Amino acid sequence: MGVGKSCLLHQFTEKKFMADCPHTIGVEFGTRIIEVAGQKIKLQIWDTAGQERFRAVTRSYYRGAAGALMVYDITRRSTYNHLSSWLTDTRNLTNPSTVIFLIGNKSDLDGQRDVTYEEAKQFADENGLMFVEASAKTGQNVEEAFLETAKKIYQSIQDGRLDLNAAESGVQHKPASPGRPLAAPPAARDNCAC
Amino acid sequence: MNHEEILLVVQEKFLSSERVTAFLCDAKLLRPDCIKKDRLLAIVEYGDEKAVFCLFTSCYPPKSFTDLSIEIVLPIDNSFKCEIDNKPSDPEAILYLNLQSRNSKFKFEIQMTPRVDNFVDDLFRGIEAVNKLPTQPEFVWLKKYIGQREDDIIAQTMILPRSGVAHTQMSAPVAIRESLIKRKMSDKEFEYTFTKRFTIFCGTWNVNDKSPVIPLKGWLCVDKEPPDIYAVGFQELDLSKETFLFDQTLREDEWYNAVRSNIDPRAKYVKVEIVRLVGMMLIILIKEKHMSHVRNVVCDTVGTGIMGKMGNKGGVSVRFDLHNTSICFVNSHLAAHVEEYERRNQDFRDICNRTRFVQANQLPKAIKDHDQIYWLGDLNYRITELDPLSVKKMVNENNFAPVLEWDQLRQQHKINNVFAGYTEGMITFKPTYKYDPGTDHWDSSEKNRAPAWCDRIFWKGDNITQLAYRSHPALNISDHKPVSALFTSAIKIVDEEKYRKIYEEVIKQLDKLENELIPQVKVDVTEIDFGTVRYLELQVRSITIKNTGKLPVEFEFIKKLDETSFCKEWLIVEPYKKCICADESCEIQLKVLINKTSACKMNAGTDKLYDILVLHLYGGKDIFITVNGTYQRSCFGCSIEVLVNLNIPIREVPVGKLIELESKRDQYISNQSTYSIPKEIWFLVDHIYLHGLKEPNLFEQPGLHSEVLQIRDWLDTGSIDPIPGSIHSVAEALLLLLESTADPIIPYNLHPVCLRACANYLQCKQIVMELPEFRKNVFLYLCEFLQEALQHSDENGLDAKTLSTLFGAIFLRDNPNVVQEPQSRMNKQIIDKKKAQFVHHFLVNDHSDLIFSR
Repeated sequence: MGVGKSCLLHQFTEKKFMADCPHTIGVEFGTRIIEVAGQKIKLQIWDTAGQERFRAVTRSYYRGAAGALMVYDITRRSTYNHLSSWLTDTRNLTNPSTVIFLIGNKSDLDGQRDVTYEEAKQFADENGLMFVEASAKTGQNVEEAFLETAKKIYQSIQDGRLDLNAAESGVQHKPASPGRPLAAPPAARDNCAC
Repeated sequence: MNHEEILLVVQEKFLSSERVTAFLCDAKLLRPDCIKKDRLLAIVEYGDEKAVFCLFTSCYPPKSFTDLSIEIVLPIDNSFKCEIDNKPSDPEAILYLNLQSRNSKFKFEIQMTPRVDNFVDDLFRGIEAVNKLPTQPEFVWLKKYIGQREDDIIAQTMILPRSGVAHTQMSAPVAIRESLIKRKMSDKEFEYTFTKRFTIFCGTWNVNDKSPVIPLKGWLCVDKEPPDIYAVGFQELDLSKETFLFDQTLREDEWYNAVRSNIDPRAKYVKVEIVRLVGMMLIILIKEKHMSHVRNVVCDTVGTGIMGKMGNKGGVSVRFDLHNTSICFVNSHLAAHVEEYERRNQDFRDICNRTRFVQANQLPKAIKDHDQIYWLGDLNYRITELDPLSVKKMVNENNFAPVLEWDQLRQQHKINNVFAGYTEGMITFKPTYKYDPGTDHWDSSEKNRAPAWCDRIFWKGDNITQLAYRSHPALNISDHKPVSALFTSAIKIVDEEKYRKIYEEVIKQLDKLENELIPQVKVDVTEIDFGTVRYLELQVRSITIKNTGKLPVEFEFIKKLDETSFCKEWLIVEPYKKCICADESCEIQLKVLINKTSACKMNAGTDKLYDILVLHLYGGKDIFITVNGTYQRSCFGCSIEVLVNLNIPIREVPVGKLIELESKRDQYISNQSTYSIPKEIWFLVDHIYLHGLKEPNLFEQPGLHSEVLQIRDWLDTGSIDPIPGSIHSVAEALLLLLESTADPIIPYNLHPVCLRACANYLQCKQIVMELPEFRKNVFLYLCEFLQEALQHSDENGLDAKTLSTLFGAIFLRDNPNVVQEPQSRMNKQIIDKKKAQFVHHFLVNDHSDLIFSR
């Protein structure tokens, strides 16, 4: 049983809960168009395999991500304990302006909670991560997590922290019509601990 | 929704660093050509910089930021000016806000509310602040908002390169998402709407340049119940030159006020819109309780008069959405003169073709693009072919039918020359033109024309029933009598809950559709276990990729980060790239073969039978395919130094021990427990020495692969049975064994020296003296054996040249890890010749001195 990355993606793209989601063997792929500050932005979300044996391969996918969503399962402390090693990987392989969002999934299973909100919040704060507890099952906070990530990326572009011209910014600007001013869609990417 | 809730929605439209400090709802943008309603003005602050935004709201109050689109951006800099006019007399307390920034000027009409004070205060604070700044702000943050196209509904697609791995070509379709949503929602309209009947009063009157000096109650307030909507049209409001040339008239207010004070007093009405072109005016009023459901009010005017452009003839129209029904009212005054019915048809077509309602974020709408159309006016069609006297006689007797037969409009309508698709009710009233003003007498002027039904009302649309169609002869100040019609029309009302449900369904469908277009495949197995894999024994497994998506999909096995090949050297994938059509499958073969190169790495523990392949779908996902197996170690691929240390069969050596031995292979020296040459080489050579020296074509005829594999197992297990297979198989196994040693018998670094020295036996001997101990042993042992074999060249057909070429290539084998410089064929031949020359010395000369030098 995973922490629910694919379910979160499915909930975000299809607004549905996938009950019997198999382990992701590879990198799944989802897209959704959202609007941030009046700009239509297409999110390209890569949902990476979480199993430890694939970790060396999934690393290939971090580079060039504009955002990363790190997911743990609030009912299993072991998944939370792995976060720091995943975070190290993410930090090492992405660029400094990559937005990292921490999601404590399965918030609907509050009765089986193994990691408190406060503890995870503190971890997020200490490491400069955005944080939310969400439920891929009920959809609670799922939309918010993705949209906030996209918003933050957009802001990074506006502030000039994220350079669109850099090959690995993870963001591409496609001019819709000649002479049109800047518009920039970000890519979020989903990777994490299992 | 209260003000604070709306503020949150408006704020959503902007970045969190851009703060909405004040906003106003219900602003109207006044343009010379039209009035745009449903605008929202917001002041947005970013650091020290402020700007005014005019946003179009597609629904009021805006439910989410997607209901808002930015129309105008005015930075508050030192060119910014704000002037406020108001008409104190205006009963509706209207305020006009003139905003100017850089070269743009805009006028807004705003309802006076307490919020306006806050807004204006904030605006002036901004202006004050900016004028105090030493340098002018640059407004870089506004760039993203300026120049935004209204029709920009095509989402941006993004192509994200995957550095280090193969490049993903994102070919997902560009979604024209919003228009698709609109389309889908309108297809499903009946699922989330119900209808309710509204009464609509339409009135038309050509007032012939008169002021409203009489009460209009007899026209506007005659029905049992107050109507929900009034649409009142006038023609010839003002025939003065000034009106015609400058389009200014006082009559507009006069007649508007007259209508306001004469409509049904039992209900409270508010103005939806008033539009006028020269003498044509159309007033739309609605019961106050319905006003919040009126959206997207747009008007337009078309002049078809002099030169086909001027406004003495033509039409004025207003469109709006009431709940979920689009309604259009047209008031027209068509060309005059008895014979000119063709002109009137033309005017009708011109009004239809030229009327355009322009709205933000939408294509302009024409009159026909509405659910319900009510067309009223002085259409000016006459009665021809009947003499005026008999017409008057018949109509005076209320005998209309024979006269209507000759009504030009009925005739033209019947043959679809005009008002095609429209309906007109039964005419049961006297002609409305032409009277002596102030009387009910037919025109007494010399022209003596036949009376005519100039003033008419048509409608088009489903579920409209006319309740009344009449004239109002008591209102006699003009040469026309006013006409009115009362309709009861079905208006579609949205069930909010159902709407939300269906909207979400539609969005879900679209997301699903888009994600379905992402290539999808099913791979039958993602973990392939080859079980036990032996040296030089090819093993094949296959996987099947089925295209389960709707489009052809191209796959390719791609490299992982920082790797030079998509799979390990011992693996062959066929095909590694292919296109599969929808619903078709492709079988991919994975072949494992451990050869001499990979065997060395397996033995040394630098590689193992494990790999993860990345199967990439163009424009889609990646699938990881895990390959693994257990390599059964063999003497093939071991280093000579390790083999001499093994006094038990290699199969009995623990894997860890072998790896350890291999890692230290440079350090071995001979001692009591080491052999001087590997026992495996000795077994093979000894077998040939004992049983095969006289074998014809020794070393030239190939062995059988299956026998070579049996010999491999015989060596690896230390069997006590006799060596299996023919002499040729044994000879081949020997060659393979010598070729597969981890290091060549003459180390790579000595190769250039050997080649240089090849002509000189003494120098060659010197080099051999300096070889690492065990390899020197093997070299000399083999040369002695070959000399022995050459003794029997009569039987086995060997000669020193052939043997030296064969063994030259083995003793001095090329380094597979060094990329060979492109050698010419010639060069390669010369090198091979020199290698042979080097070995040749040791096959023809007595070098026992070297052996005994130990």
